[in-house]
Amino acid sequence: MKGRKLLVFLAACVCLVLVGGAATAAPAKGGVLRMAVIDEPPTLDQHVVTSDLTTMIAQHIFEGLYTFNAKYAPVPLLVKSDEVKDGGKVVVLHLRDGVKFHNGKVMDAEDVLASLNRWGKFGARGPVLFGNLEKVEATGKLDITMTFKAPFAPWKNLLAFLNGGPVIYPKDVVATAEKKPIEQYIGTGPYKFAERNPGRYIKLVRFDDYASRTEPADGYSGKREALFDEIRFIPVPDVGTRVNGVKAGDYDYAEQILGDLFDSLKADDAVVTTVNQGATQGLMFFNSKTGPLKENFKLRRALQAAMNMEAVLRTAVGPKELWKASGSFMPDSTTWYSKSGVDAFSNGSAEKAKALAKEAGYAGEKITLMASTSYKFHHDSTMVLVKQLKDAGFNIDYQIYDWATLISKRADPAQWDIFFTHHGFVPDPVLYTFMSESYPGWWTTETKRALAKEFSATMDDAARKLVWDKIQALAYEEVPVIKTGDHFTYDIYSPKLDGLSASSLIWPKFWGVGFKATK
Amino acid sequence: MIAYICRRFLSMIPSLFLASVIVFSFIHFIPGDPAQVMLGDQATPERVQQLRESMGLDRPLYVQYAKWIGGVLRGDMGQSIFFHKPVLDVIADRAETSLLIAVFSMILIIVVGVPIGILSAVRCNSRLDQLFSGASMFFASIPTFWLGLNLMLLFAVTLKWLPTSGFPSIVESGDWSNLRYLVLPCITLAAPNSALIIRLTRSSMLDVARADYVKTAWAKGLSEGSVTMRHIFRNSLISVVSALGFTFVALLAGTVVTETVFSLPGVGRLVVESLLRRDYPTIQGVILIVAFVYMLVNLLVDLSFAILDPRIRYS
Repeated sequence: MKGRKLLVFLAACVCLVLVGGAATAAPAKGGVLRMAVIDEPPTLDQHVVTSDLTTMIAQHIFEGLYTFNAKYAPVPLLVKSDEVKDGGKVVVLHLRDGVKFHNGKVMDAEDVLASLNRWGKFGARGPVLFGNLEKVEATGKLDITMTFKAPFAPWKNLLAFLNGGPVIYPKDVVATAEKKPIEQYIGTGPYKFAERNPGRYIKLVRFDDYASRTEPADGYSGKREALFDEIRFIPVPDVGTRVNGVKAGDYDYAEQILGDLFDSLKADDAVVTTVNQGATQGLMFFNSKTGPLKENFKLRRALQAAMNMEAVLRTAVGPKELWKASGSFMPDSTTWYSKSGVDAFSNGSAEKAKALAKEAGYAGEKITLMASTSYKFHHDSTMVLVKQLKDAGFNIDYQIYDWATLISKRADPAQWDIFFTHHGFVPDPVLYTFMSESYPGWWTTETKRALAKEFSATMDDAARKLVWDKIQALAYEEVPVIKTGDHFTYDIYSPKLDGLSASSLIWPKFWGVGFKATK
Repeated sequence: MIAYICRRFLSMIPSLFLASVIVFSFIHFIPGDPAQVMLGDQATPERVQQLRESMGLDRPLYVQYAKWIGGVLRGDMGQSIFFHKPVLDVIADRAETSLLIAVFSMILIIVVGVPIGILSAVRCNSRLDQLFSGASMFFASIPTFWLGLNLMLLFAVTLKWLPTSGFPSIVESGDWSNLRYLVLPCITLAAPNSALIIRLTRSSMLDVARADYVKTAWAKGLSEGSVTMRHIFRNSLISVVSALGFTFVALLAGTVVTETVFSLPGVGRLVVESLLRRDYPTIQGVILIVAFVYMLVNLLVDLSFAILDPRIRYS
């Protein structure tokens, strides 16, 4: 009898511990998340803009057909399943049934078709896919069929990448917008758009009819649960204010904090730091249309040889944990990581640069390098790079502009030889700007064109990786662009938040996140 | 007086027209394209051109100017490219913050600056005067962002008495307790401006104190208070009121650093951000309105001279 009582008592204790444990482990439902963001987005229309800020907010409202798991592999989101036929030329997408838009309408193939067509015509990245499509059509109430001109391997990655990507809007919303940015923000996501108060906040509220997937959460895929009643994205342009605001409890989450503050904030109990795994990289584009660098690959390699990227990253980013002097265009967290050609990366040798420049016939011609002060990282990086290039004997005309001026000037090839910009993380190398022939820099050599074609047409992943190795090797030989390295932004948040992982993949997301449950 | 005011209003018309031409030309001739800024770094030239056409930016400049100025005359300043709403609404959203900041900062400046200036002049070269002079030099010299961040650290982060940043609208919420959001920004703005008013009040009063009519007042055996306030202070007010007028306009639209530090949705930040975004209609609208307010305040300052100095008459 005593033994039974003891057993019952022990079982009760175990139950209490489990229940108590569960109560503290799962974030609570309710509350308002106040996130301090660096600026206001011009629009939340995902089709047309590639701003990371837009995507970070919009991913809670809109969804695409696919998304990425924690290994950056594309997995279904609004799609239930797919079939690839005819050696990759035909792809049939079967959509999930019962997915509701925020206006109550149930999503069907007509909505998907209208969204894809608009994205293909006016979207930022749509033409990459649609340039290879013969036709796309609704072949059933919940079926979409894409027929490619030739097998096109990156289709799933392109459909999964939300930034400038094909999110699904209701058909009538698409019809009212066309080439103008969409102003009715109606999606299928776990939060719905509620209000934009310019200069103050963008407000999202929980969408109670959200049709979540049931698989366990994995990266951006799987179950999505909106726990907050409301999320407010508040523009706080000054980084010191974002930090102070989280410390004082005025904000719960603040993005993009200065590298210089990383060590002190890591040691501060009032905040938690989270590093963004999706690396940003500085890129210097070389002018392939005109000027001293046109087709003079040896001179480009001479410039490359002079650069020491560790010095650049240390100055521009700060603590070692926030950067990697890596020559691989794709980060080592992806299957695309490659060492092809990287021996030429970050040599930092003025002597080698001088010798190569002499062989290239360089006689001190002026090389115009444009950078922007709008991004501190651009300015700090180029300050170091210009010093290194001048030390190696190059006649650099360093021109600094605000970002709007720079992107206007770079459209005219006569005005520059090199310009500095940055590139956010992309899941497929086909999305790199230097792979596009229309992006300033205009890398259009025959070898590149042939390899790019082969890269798109190769359906086998392992074989595609080998082609990518060749493209990267070519990029170090023809030097259309020079990468400075990978750097990782970091954010801070209040210890009251629960459900956030130690690092975010590309953009921080707030489904599955809530305030810690009180015991 | 009425005729004078009417003439001044009429003279504002060519000035505003000139301001509209200058600001329109200036922002359209600097490089940069709002469509490209909106679509981002990776937008294709075709997509940028499509958006330019939908915004009407592909039309000749004189057509764009005529369309804009025609709208202004009908009370329509156009549509903000960035915010996708009428420019007047965008400005109205920001005006609440800027107006409240300007008014409360001005009250602080006057309440602190003028009495201390008088005291410094009355106790000229005393230890108190040296203390005030040193303090005003200090506050006039320190950068506002430094002062703002330190006030924030002390009162918001450490003591948690006040919020760090932002300003929820009182007009929308009806909650007057939101004024607490403006305490630190107003102190930040008032500190350097009060210092200048202290210096100006002191030096103006010392100048006036040397005038013959002040000597006469002393000779007549008037009390110190009467001489100081009625004869010296009142006559030194013209330069102080002029400075306060300019300060008010500067507080309305030129406080971008403080607005940025405290994340305030004010007019100053709107101008700079719109310039960086090349949001042409917003920049044009804000500058035109600020120019009008500047002229209006100038007129009020001029009119106040007649009240302060009976010798000045407008006819």
